Amino acid sequence: MIIGIDVGGTYTDAVLLKQEQVLEKIKTPTIPDDLLTSLLKALEPLLKAAKNNQIDRIVFSTTLITNLIATGNIDPVALVLIPGPGLNPNTYNFNIPDTFILSGAIDYRGREIEPLKEKEIKECLEAVRARGIKRVAIVGKFSQRNKNHEEAVASYFKQHAPEIQTVMGHQVSGRLNFPRRVVTSLLTLATQNRFQEFYSQIQKVLAQRGITAPIYILKADGGTLPFAQAFLKPVETIFSGPAASTLGVLALTPSGQTSVVLDIGGTTTDLALILSGKPLLASRGARINNHLTHVRAFATKSVALGGDSVVQVGPDSSLEILPQRAGAAYCLGGPQPTPTDAMRVAGLITIGDEKRAREAMNKLGSKLKLPAEQTAALIIELMVKRIAREINEMFLAWEEEPAYRIWELLQKQKIRPQNVVGIGASAPAILPLLGKEMGCRALVPPYAEVANAIGAALAKVTLRLTFHFDTERNFYFIEETGVQEKLGVKGQLSLADAEEMAFKWLRQEGEKLGIPPGEEPELVYSEMFNMVRGWTTTGRLYDICVQFPPGILEDWLERREQNA
Amino acid sequence: MPEKTGLVFFPAFDWAISPTHPEREERLLYTKDQLFEEGIMDLPEICEYKARLATFKDIARVHFCVPEIRAQVTEAHLIAAGGTLVLADALMNKEIKNGFALVRPPGHHAMRVVHGNRGFCNINNEAIMIEYLRKKYGIRKIAIVDTDVHHGDGTQDIYYHDPDVLFISFHQDGRTLYPGSGFTHELGGPRAFGATINIPLPPGTTDEGIHYVLEELVLPVLDDFQPELIVNSAGQDNHYTDPLANMRFTAQGYARLNARLKPDLAVLEGGYAIESALPYVNTGIVLAMAGLDYSYVREPDYRKENFIQPPEKMVYIKELVEYLKEIWKNRTSLGQQKQFHEGDFYEQKRSIYYDTDHIREQQWEQIRLCKTCPGYQMITSRGMYPYGTTRTIFAVAIPWQACLNCQEEARGYYQERIKNPQGLDFVYLQDKPHDIYYQFFVEKDCEIQIE
Ligand SMILES: [Zn+2]
Ligand SMILES: [Zn+2]
Ligand SMILES: [Zn+2]
Repeated sequence: MIIGIDVGGTYTDAVLLKQEQVLEKIKTPTIPDDLLTSLLKALEPLLKAAKNNQIDRIVFSTTLITNLIATGNIDPVALVLIPGPGLNPNTYNFNIPDTFILSGAIDYRGREIEPLKEKEIKECLEAVRARGIKRVAIVGKFSQRNKNHEEAVASYFKQHAPEIQTVMGHQVSGRLNFPRRVVTSLLTLATQNRFQEFYSQIQKVLAQRGITAPIYILKADGGTLPFAQAFLKPVETIFSGPAASTLGVLALTPSGQTSVVLDIGGTTTDLALILSGKPLLASRGARINNHLTHVRAFATKSVALGGDSVVQVGPDSSLEILPQRAGAAYCLGGPQPTPTDAMRVAGLITIGDEKRAREAMNKLGSKLKLPAEQTAALIIELMVKRIAREINEMFLAWEEEPAYRIWELLQKQKIRPQNVVGIGASAPAILPLLGKEMGCRALVPPYAEVANAIGAALAKVTLRLTFHFDTERNFYFIEETGVQEKLGVKGQLSLADAEEMAFKWLRQEGEKLGIPPGEEPELVYSEMFNMVRGWTTTGRLYDICVQFPPGILEDWLERREQNA
Repeated sequence: MPEKTGLVFFPAFDWAISPTHPEREERLLYTKDQLFEEGIMDLPEICEYKARLATFKDIARVHFCVPEIRAQVTEAHLIAAGGTLVLADALMNKEIKNGFALVRPPGHHAMRVVHGNRGFCNINNEAIMIEYLRKKYGIRKIAIVDTDVHHGDGTQDIYYHDPDVLFISFHQDGRTLYPGSGFTHELGGPRAFGATINIPLPPGTTDEGIHYVLEELVLPVLDDFQPELIVNSAGQDNHYTDPLANMRFTAQGYARLNARLKPDLAVLEGGYAIESALPYVNTGIVLAMAGLDYSYVREPDYRKENFIQPPEKMVYIKELVEYLKEIWKNRTSLGQQKQFHEGDFYEQKRSIYYDTDHIREQQWEQIRLCKTCPGYQMITSRGMYPYGTTRTIFAVAIPWQACLNCQEEARGYYQERIKNPQGLDFVYLQDKPHDIYYQFFVEKDCEIQIE
């Protein structure tokens, strides 16, 4: 049996699954500022329903990191940068008062072009100590291609000030983009201890209930990580909510299709895309606190439009839906007319007081000289049109993302969805109309109300490794793990050899995370560049990316197909 | 006022002339590493755009391709040219204050008639962008400053008779470098005299020399000409580490040049020191165009003391600048003195060599000397290809400024040759006033309109 729990901002959803069946589902309001209690409140009934059957896995998706960052409840961190030549380092605005800049530089191939100055490191440490700083993120430009400078500074700190906690940029992310690496490193160090505290508590309460099942954490990219590994990069668990709902939709709808996932809530409608059965990841890392990071996340869009949005008659005597919520819908005792009231009058939903809903529509309708039914129809049309427009814009934005290869540029043809899939309270009312507007199939899957918990429960363990081989320097590195090693190959390494090596690494690392040996990895891309001096080739660069992609546990899918 | 600098980055990581050719996949690889690691695309001052494909019509507005456009361009060419059009649109729609198209393959050696690849170029990205700007947005006066180390002979050829496009190229002296042209006496055709300016510099010229030329000649001339737009044909092979040339320009030098020149649009041209120059020069240019501090951009081996300009070189450059300033000042009267031609046409004959494709071309050009407009042009061109084949074309080009008389005359000549195409393989009409482009295939006896 599997348990999935998604602790969202408003609701905590949880499911207990057995094979392809949902044995129990829970939806309960999240208690603000108390994630642990919220979580337990959802967990208890599931454990009861499981009786004494064995739990094979528990997956959590929480807003812990989001909350910590939003409330500023994170630990102070100092920044030691080794930026080298290029942009004036003061151009970057990290908002960290304790920032120290050291001499030293590495180039794009990982060659040292300027040494560190030991005197500066010494002075830096003295200043850090004088200010009573306990945590230091050390980040160098191109450190992912040569970690020596970062390691030299870190080991100096360790030797002379073992009480100071450090993190190095190359450990956090090896992707190109120094400022994002800086922000991601900062957030990693600032949340690590609190993340650890929270999950120690969880482990304790689970142990008290005799549960020994492995615990996984859902990440923003839709993969799960064993809890012990998540501690290294807690910030990757931010924004796991949209990933959970998208995976849930993936689990509940036909495979291989192109769909828009809509979560229509009270204040917002959240959109995500599934292209030919694969959730679309954002090309840039997630934006956290207005800073771009290296955190991989699903491409999502949040539109300020929901069932509780305020509807009014604008100055030009036309209806408008405002991007804010004033409270519950009028028919549920709220202060203002809302789309929910319109849906109630139109007979699309049955919740709330019909008389009050009609009252709300009449209030608006009297200004337009329209009866309540017609007013309601106009509001619903407005909402559907707006959502359709946002969906189209999301596809357009995807098409307009830069491409650096001919095939990439030519391949991004106009794609439009086959399905619109809705979850959330207003989904059943809106979806059929939206499907009609967009000319595609509208689906509200069974268990839509707990789709995110199902998504979390069924999410696969993922692993992605991006290799950069430099045969001239006889050297390779792995972006995600910070590995930087000599190739130790005699003669020229061929592209096929390099790919084989990449897959071997991936399988080995996958095993450590508990990815079953039968799981098939995929080649994301593989590119070769010749290095030419004069007119002869002196070496090659291979950029190879392999992964166990995000997705839904295979046996769930198989059983679902069999039952269908 | 838009605040952002637009960038189109199209490194064409899957395109090369050949695996070891300087124009190969790897060329912008380290530039990508540097720009991306700096986080340039995330800066609030930068807006990145996706390239698109130029159409055949965009190309026909500039070129006569033999035997047809399809044979001269790959998808990479269409995307490189299309990338410049994306920025042209963004600029004219006021989304950006300026833009830099970091695209390959390059284009400034591609002339009006294209029999093949010259100097790594098939089609001229800047000219395609400029003709698009003129057609779509009605821009009239444009200045091109070619900062590539090689003479921009293709761009010069395309605008040699256009008084509304000022073409300024500084480059390493043609006696010491490909393509062997770009001398001070090349000053434009009879109706566009002075609208072409060439500044051949001695090998070894440093930042000091190039900035002197910029401050004392290029900027004052631009000030006089008052173009609506300035385009930088931004080659980076003046750099001191470039393997194909011998100049001493630095990343700081390139950055400062762009900060002073303030081009509205810059288009990448040559530059083949792909490790030691391009990552730094491109970063410098982008920062300068975006108005950001570029003073931290520096090549790893840069030492100030290695870049002192020998005094005798400075003397030479100063004299050159004085000489060209005089010509610019007196261009109108000098132009009139040079026009001693009797009759309705000015004619010139020349031969052109295509280094990459080993093609020889012979060209006979006639320019209609009209009292009211810059006149139309007729070109007879014979390409002699390796293995002995040849192709001969006749092409009529009607500029967008042409008077109604000239337009009618020119169309008449095209019609006449279609009816009487002996000795020709293809006949072309480039009718810019109508924005219509025809190619007539003699063997198939069929005319197509290029879309
Ligand atoms: Zn030039
Ligand atoms: Zn060049
Ligand atoms: Zn005329």
